[in-house]
Amino acid sequence: MTHKTNGLFYDGQSSASQKIELFFDTDKKVLFFENRNGERQNWILIDTIVNINGQILNFQHGDNPVQSINIEEKDFVSYLILFRKNSGHINWYQKLIGMGFKAHVVLATLILGIVGLSYIYAIPWVAEKSVVLIPKEYDDDLGSMFFKQNMIFNNIDIHKTNALNQFAKELKLNNTKKLKFTVVNSSVVNAFALPDGNIVVFSGILDSMNSYDELVGLLGHEVAHVNNRHSMKMLCRNLSGYIFVSAILGDVNGIMAVVGDNVNTLQSLSFSREFERQSDLEGFEILSTNKINPYGMLNLFKRLQEEEQDISMPEFLSSHPVTIERIKFIKKLIQTRPFYFTDNPKLKTLFKEIKQ
Amino acid sequence: MENSLSETKTHKLDFQGSGSAFFGIIIVNWLLTIITLGVYYPWAKAKQLQFLYGESSLDGDRFTFHGTGKEMFRGFVKAIILFIVLAIIMFFFVFLKMPLLGLIFFYVGIIAILPLAIHGSYRYRMSRTSWRGIRFGYRGDRNEFIKKFFSWIGLTIITFGIYGPWMVINMRKYLLENVRFGDAEFEYEGDGGDYFLLNLKGYFLSIFTLGIYMFWWQKDIFQYYVNNLSLHKEDKKITLTSTVTGGGFFKLAFINLFIIIFTLGLGYAWVVARTMKFIFSNIIIEGNIDLDSIQQTEENFKDATGDDISDILNMDFVM
Repeated sequence: MTHKTNGLFYDGQSSASQKIELFFDTDKKVLFFENRNGERQNWILIDTIVNINGQILNFQHGDNPVQSINIEEKDFVSYLILFRKNSGHINWYQKLIGMGFKAHVVLATLILGIVGLSYIYAIPWVAEKSVVLIPKEYDDDLGSMFFKQNMIFNNIDIHKTNALNQFAKELKLNNTKKLKFTVVNSSVVNAFALPDGNIVVFSGILDSMNSYDELVGLLGHEVAHVNNRHSMKMLCRNLSGYIFVSAILGDVNGIMAVVGDNVNTLQSLSFSREFERQSDLEGFEILSTNKINPYGMLNLFKRLQEEEQDISMPEFLSSHPVTIERIKFIKKLIQTRPFYFTDNPKLKTLFKEIKQ
Repeated sequence: MENSLSETKTHKLDFQGSGSAFFGIIIVNWLLTIITLGVYYPWAKAKQLQFLYGESSLDGDRFTFHGTGKEMFRGFVKAIILFIVLAIIMFFFVFLKMPLLGLIFFYVGIIAILPLAIHGSYRYRMSRTSWRGIRFGYRGDRNEFIKKFFSWIGLTIITFGIYGPWMVINMRKYLLENVRFGDAEFEYEGDGGDYFLLNLKGYFLSIFTLGIYMFWWQKDIFQYYVNNLSLHKEDKKITLTSTVTGGGFFKLAFINLFIIIFTLGLGYAWVVARTMKFIFSNIIIEGNIDLDSIQQTEENFKDATGDDISDILNMDFVM
């Protein structure tokens, strides 16, 4: 069967349109017409690009030059759309586009949902687990880089530093890498652990302590961060979230900025709730293996929390938020876990030295 | 017939695309890009451009973007290889304990690529765009453009950025004046000095009005870009005139912002469609070139590398 319609033909040589009578042979699936010079042209339908823009059907044929025909006749347009559909000329892409607005909205919501869920749950989990793939030396490089950059300007107390290192030597800290303790003279109530085993304690937090068991509690907590590579895990988490978002949004150049940013904020890197919990638990265990009164940890946290009410919020809280939840957790540990403690005169003496 | 050729006629530029149709394209692109872990990106880009060009029309006839995902994919692979090579050379310097040299090399490399990317992007986009079967084309000379580009950059650095407006206008002028539409040529009459004053005025008035003047500043810039552009063929010409107002820009930006916020970004498609429509409906095109008499003159150019480099470097297509 042959269908006939009127169209405008552009020959790819000039912008002038030619009015043509276009025929469509449904058996051979060929479009044919005569151009201005009376030459017959045959276009095989599947070699022709078909666009439907609003009411207008547009055929494009050839590569150099591209020739085209526009058809407005409604009956022919709807016939051809149906014909292509029935002949299987509609590919999967056009099917996806042709699903309609409602389906697209559903699709968009679905994608957003999956993206959101993986951003919140899957990606951080994968990133954290993939930390094992990062060589441990990298932790050391990162930590020492930060230490070198930041410690030049800080006032290190050599005497207290020595005493603190001796204090730590007396303890079993379950550490896998060599630990190095540094006391910095500063009123800041804070302490932080770097991934390379450098643990920095500000004299401000030491001043607020009353007894050596509190210091053991603090060290136990910080050492647990190092032992579990929490810094590196947080770094991977933060970075993975960013990489994920930028992959979705198609933005690449921000990733390096995040790496740089995180190195600079290692000190105030806010650990996640579960990392704090893990460190509290392991800190508690360190207290108990060293036969130190676990109330020390509880007392320290309580006092820090009380100080929070003051004008100057201890920085320790902002990077390791002491929540009521954490205090409850330690209380529960004390109540449920068996422990035994004795007085440790050596630690007591060293603590006095550190406090001076 | 002779008479009608030199008659001045008004032509209508329009954007017919609907937000919902564009939304469909974006969502399907998004889905396929995620499923293929990004490999689909070049095809997605081609589909998007095909839609945007295809919905733009002049006197009721639509433009066509002939670029394909395959071409863009090839270009993308080449562009990525180029960046990898640059990165390898940088790491080689780092390995030789000369990280600073490596970094300098990397950035100089990227700056050196810029004019090549702009040139390639123009050649590709123009050659792959047509109207009534007649291709656009870009005839700029690569080496000449590279030389000019670096002299503009150099002058801008030496003058601490004061030369910036001249650089912008000179570059536009060079690029646009090398654009052909079949046997018709574009001309751009902008001048760096005027552009400098326009921006100076816009900058200070925006500060004094706490930013409100920004929309009028934008109007001035748009007007300066559009009104100075014209199409020439033999002794005939077609001029472009902007009718945008600062208030119009303000309304556009305000509503667009609301759409983006209240749809959590999903309304992006409508924002694009509205913006295109706004811009196109605010350009008056009139002149005595017979748009039925344009002859095909420009060659095909299918290498999308420059266009893809521009995309990776996040450069907006300068047009």
